Amino acid sequence: MASHDPEARLSHLQSADGSATFSHAGYTVVGAVNGPIEVQRRDELPEEAVVDVIVRPAAGVGGTRERHLESLLQSTLRQIILINNFPRTLIQVTLQVTVSPENEYVNAKLSQAATNLPILPTLIQTALLALLSAAIPLTATVTAAVLAIVADDGASTIIVDPTAREIQVSRSLHVFAFTSRDELLLNESEGEFTMQEWDNAFATAQRQCCPAPTSDDVDMEGGSQADLKNFTRSTLETKTASDLYWK
Amino acid sequence: MATSSSLTLSSATFSKLSPHPYLLANLQASDSSSPSARTNGRLPQQARQPYINTSSLSHAHGSAVVRTGDTTVICGVRGETLLTSAVPNYRAPDDSSGATLNEARDYDLLVPNIELATGCAPNFLPGVPPTTLAQTLSTRVYSLLHSSKLLNVSGLRIYQKDGSELSGRQRGNEAMEEDDEGDSTITERAVKAYWVLYIDVLFISFDGNPFDAAWAAILAALQDTKLPQAYWDPDREMVLCSPKKRLPLTLSGFPVATTAAVFTAKEKPKKGGGQYWILVDPDRLEEGLCDETVTIVVDCPKEGTKVLGISNHGGTVVGPVLMKELAKAAESRWNDFRKAVS
Repeated sequence: MASHDPEARLSHLQSADGSATFSHAGYTVVGAVNGPIEVQRRDELPEEAVVDVIVRPAAGVGGTRERHLESLLQSTLRQIILINNFPRTLIQVTLQVTVSPENEYVNAKLSQAATNLPILPTLIQTALLALLSAAIPLTATVTAAVLAIVADDGASTIIVDPTAREIQVSRSLHVFAFTSRDELLLNESEGEFTMQEWDNAFATAQRQCCPAPTSDDVDMEGGSQADLKNFTRSTLETKTASDLYWK
Repeated sequence: MATSSSLTLSSATFSKLSPHPYLLANLQASDSSSPSARTNGRLPQQARQPYINTSSLSHAHGSAVVRTGDTTVICGVRGETLLTSAVPNYRAPDDSSGATLNEARDYDLLVPNIELATGCAPNFLPGVPPTTLAQTLSTRVYSLLHSSKLLNVSGLRIYQKDGSELSGRQRGNEAMEEDDEGDSTITERAVKAYWVLYIDVLFISFDGNPFDAAWAAILAALQDTKLPQAYWDPDREMVLCSPKKRLPLTLSGFPVATTAAVFTAKEKPKKGGGQYWILVDPDRLEEGLCDETVTIVVDCPKEGTKVLGISNHGGTVVGPVLMKELAKAAESRWNDFRKAVS
């Protein structure tokens, strides 16, 4: 399960205000945040900051799919950034996908990937780390997970962080994002499912994204899944510690 | 509000000057006897009644006009043939192998496009590239067309004309494939071409909730679509269509999208709490004032309700409990559309 372990680097781009590279579940995304900066006159909002998200795919130029991902990310990040603290400014988040997993079972097309959803958690997580690196004030952090429901002869099983192959044979695919206060911030589901299955997926995602605060020994439970909430915290703790080392 | 009569605002001015307090004042009932209503006079959970008219375009293979309130959408479906010899990396479909090959997606047999016409709403200007909204809608429609597996791809395949007569070949094919799997029949029945469906959606007028209307228009247009019966003629090496016989597409199910927006009492909701209203089928004013939207796509056949997609973003109000309420609202909306189609 080594490939499932998340990895992150913070503040490694010199020119951007904040940056992060994040790898998880086969995807690697480089994120850069600039802000608050001056905003174009026609986009300016008198009472809040404009959040602009740019997603660039691993190959080719962005198309309608990237616009959709951008609008999802934009409305999500607006909720966690304290946009009212920076009226008439722009906070720009640029996300470049560098690695995306290939499905060796099909002849892949570059331009139109099979589905938009699996990459969404990695994009959200990268954007969050880059925002933290840029020291943009946030109301909460966000944790996201992708789940696939696979039907196995009547019984349906939920797979967290499914592979490209598992996504292809799955019956439905769900992306959930929770704030650090355990509220549902984003949910995108596609495929065929019942509300009961959705409930189960929701509960699994909640367990995944919002682990009980007391369980420090979460790694000891033998779960192969990464605890992204604690991962974000420990990554930043390490970064802060190394930045303050000279004292 | 001002006390002096010269300073009293008309409701139209009030709504333009400060739309958020205006909608809030409408929703917060002044006394307990009158129920809270929206600025458009609807109840929070009340959707606009859909009207559907099909086959209005003469040159499309199928078309539909859908009207919900002041949102009017027209959708035309046009089929064009695509030769398999023109497809790079073409692999012949093999029904026995199962789900590994997704022809509709791999060969782009469904090409939806959504256009927001100039003048359908004041914020769409002429001569600009497609807006983010138009691109987002196209992507969502494209994803839903594929993930819901609405279209049966076997109806889009064009086979070589074999010895048997044309009539009922569609049904004949399937029956033959089921009962004899010999190599000879499969080679004879090689797919020579596909129908590519160009699904064009144009917003004539836009008053909120574009996705539901666009999806309903696509669904009604696909139900209305009749493709000419086509076959591959090996002598002339081209696809020929029979002028008389037209076959409808085979659709699985009747998925209907329902969108709701969440209106919060405070313009900048603080963490947790605060009063909110769920506005089903929001209009343009309401959409501009709501951050969080939920779209649920359901199909309610007799066997039981199934959900084909959920999209919820932009806020933290909707949790699992509210989601189930909205699924109920989606079911009643499904009945509205079902009635409007028939």
